[in-house]
Amino acid sequence: MTKSRSRRITAIIRYTVLTIWAIVAFFPIYWMISTSFKIDTQWFAWPPVYFPDPPTLSNYLNVWLGAQEYASTQYAISSQTPLVSLLNSTIIATTSTLLAVVFGAVIAYGVSRYKILSEARMFQLLMLRMIPPIVVVAPLSLYYSALGLLDTMFGLILIYFLTNLPYAVWMTKSFIDEVPREIEQAAEILGASRWRTIFEVVLPLIRSGLVATFLFILILTWSEYLLALILSKTNVATLPVELSKYQGTTEGKVYGRQAALAVGITVPLMIVGLIIRKHLARGFSFGMVRR
Amino acid sequence: MAVATAPPARVAPRHSAREISRSRALNRFKWSIRAPLILLFSLVLTPVLLLQLYFSFHEWTVYLGSWWEAEFVGIDLFKEVLTDERFGWAIVRSLGFAMGSTIGCFVIGFALAYLMYEPFRGSAIYYIIFILPMLTVPIVVAYTAEMLLYQSGPVNDVISRLLGVDFKPAWLTDPKVAMPAVTLLEIWNWTPFSFIIMLAGLSSIPREPIEAAQILGASRWRIFWEVQLPLLRPVILLALVLRFLEAMAEFPKTWALFQGGPGSSTETIPVYIFLTTWQYFQISKGAALSYVAMILMVVIVLLAIQLLRREKRALDAMYSSKTEAAD
Repeated sequence: MTKSRSRRITAIIRYTVLTIWAIVAFFPIYWMISTSFKIDTQWFAWPPVYFPDPPTLSNYLNVWLGAQEYASTQYAISSQTPLVSLLNSTIIATTSTLLAVVFGAVIAYGVSRYKILSEARMFQLLMLRMIPPIVVVAPLSLYYSALGLLDTMFGLILIYFLTNLPYAVWMTKSFIDEVPREIEQAAEILGASRWRTIFEVVLPLIRSGLVATFLFILILTWSEYLLALILSKTNVATLPVELSKYQGTTEGKVYGRQAALAVGITVPLMIVGLIIRKHLARGFSFGMVRR
Repeated sequence: MAVATAPPARVAPRHSAREISRSRALNRFKWSIRAPLILLFSLVLTPVLLLQLYFSFHEWTVYLGSWWEAEFVGIDLFKEVLTDERFGWAIVRSLGFAMGSTIGCFVIGFALAYLMYEPFRGSAIYYIIFILPMLTVPIVVAYTAEMLLYQSGPVNDVISRLLGVDFKPAWLTDPKVAMPAVTLLEIWNWTPFSFIIMLAGLSSIPREPIEAAQILGASRWRIFWEVQLPLLRPVILLALVLRFLEAMAEFPKTWALFQGGPGSSTETIPVYIFLTTWQYFQISKGAALSYVAMILMVVIVLLAIQLLRREKRALDAMYSSKTEAAD
């Protein structure tokens, strides 16, 4: 009897604590979503409005499509439509991530099977990721402007490719390490070259791992702010940079518009994150912690 | 696992022509991967670091002429930076912020993971909700925080209603609470990181020692302190070190929410470097600041890597013994 009773108490404590944190974790996200459906008088109201009443789509129509009939003059933002930034973000993030994962997987294969980088070198690679980018971003922008790469897609793709490479190498290596060598040896005996072995035997075997790596790095690149802010000005602004333009452009608080944009930036990211939720621990720990 | 980690036996006793061509092919293969890697990093990194060095020793701002004709000033800039009280405070603030948020994330994340590592009904839902903050773009976190934290905003309103008292800290305008506000935000944003790492750790440590202790009648508390915690040491250190490093680099939230203010109360190292370079346009001072910050970070990162290398071995040993046991 006492045992089942103590078990019930444990369960009550567990659900209480977890539910409290779930509310704390979800409330800001709920607030962002609900604000995006509020009319302008409820963005900044006192007492705060917890449920949009009546819910409106005008924020979305105004922000994403630039619908003028919905843009009350006071809150209209004179900037390009974020659809351009959405396109920029998509192209930059997917291209740089894809390059990083493919090249990273090849390096990882070399490290895993032929030790082309020593353990010390592998950690040096990691260092490139661990040093905050702010300490090199000023000379980088001067270097970029000298090369004509400032405010170009290629420039951003190049820098994201480099900064994501360490993650790609480490994460794919943890997947390749789990593949038994015998399969490749069989392929080699059958006369396949090393490159063929990599692309036709090893990489297909870790397909799901590669997808997880790709999506994981996509999340990081999609949300990156500092490099995008400095290295792009007007031509290739990404979504986070576009969002930050809403700050300081007007006197009034345009919370509803910001929230509509923020939802559009964040929701795809959450979906991607939830798809690879089982691999997030491995990703964030550079493949050192697995499930 | 053991096969994969053993060095490949390439050295044959007899060096036949075939062996030699084989080892040549292998070498070519190795260098065809190494070469582009080295080339890429040296083409981007070397000029950047040289430029950084140049600006640290030459006084230049965007208002002067061409940067390559800037005046050589020796170590004056470093003297200025190292005696700059604001920079000193920025370092202190960054370290405090990183430590505070790391500990906060870790304590909450570990507690949640501990409550969740044994399966129970509804755990999948909790897991999904708990990782959402981590999947929110940092700049979005900052703007959402602004919508939540203004003085008569929803956060103060909810807390006031729950406590039944008037709870009205001016999160966004009071210099005393601005830094704690960013720290809390960072904890909200990145607790999921500690949570998923600790959850993965807790569910992958071997079960046998825990079961043995249970049979011997040890209490949950003693099992936690004397069995689970020592086994988790590598995972714990990893979660702390990686989070600390990320927190030292935090920029988007601090910047978007406060731009260093109110006063200079949220000037962390990245924010101060950003202000100096892109608001005051003191490129040279910014470069010298960056150099000092970089040296500081290199020291910290080297220490961290030393630690990570040791713990990674412990982790690899744990996973390989697990797979062997499974075979």
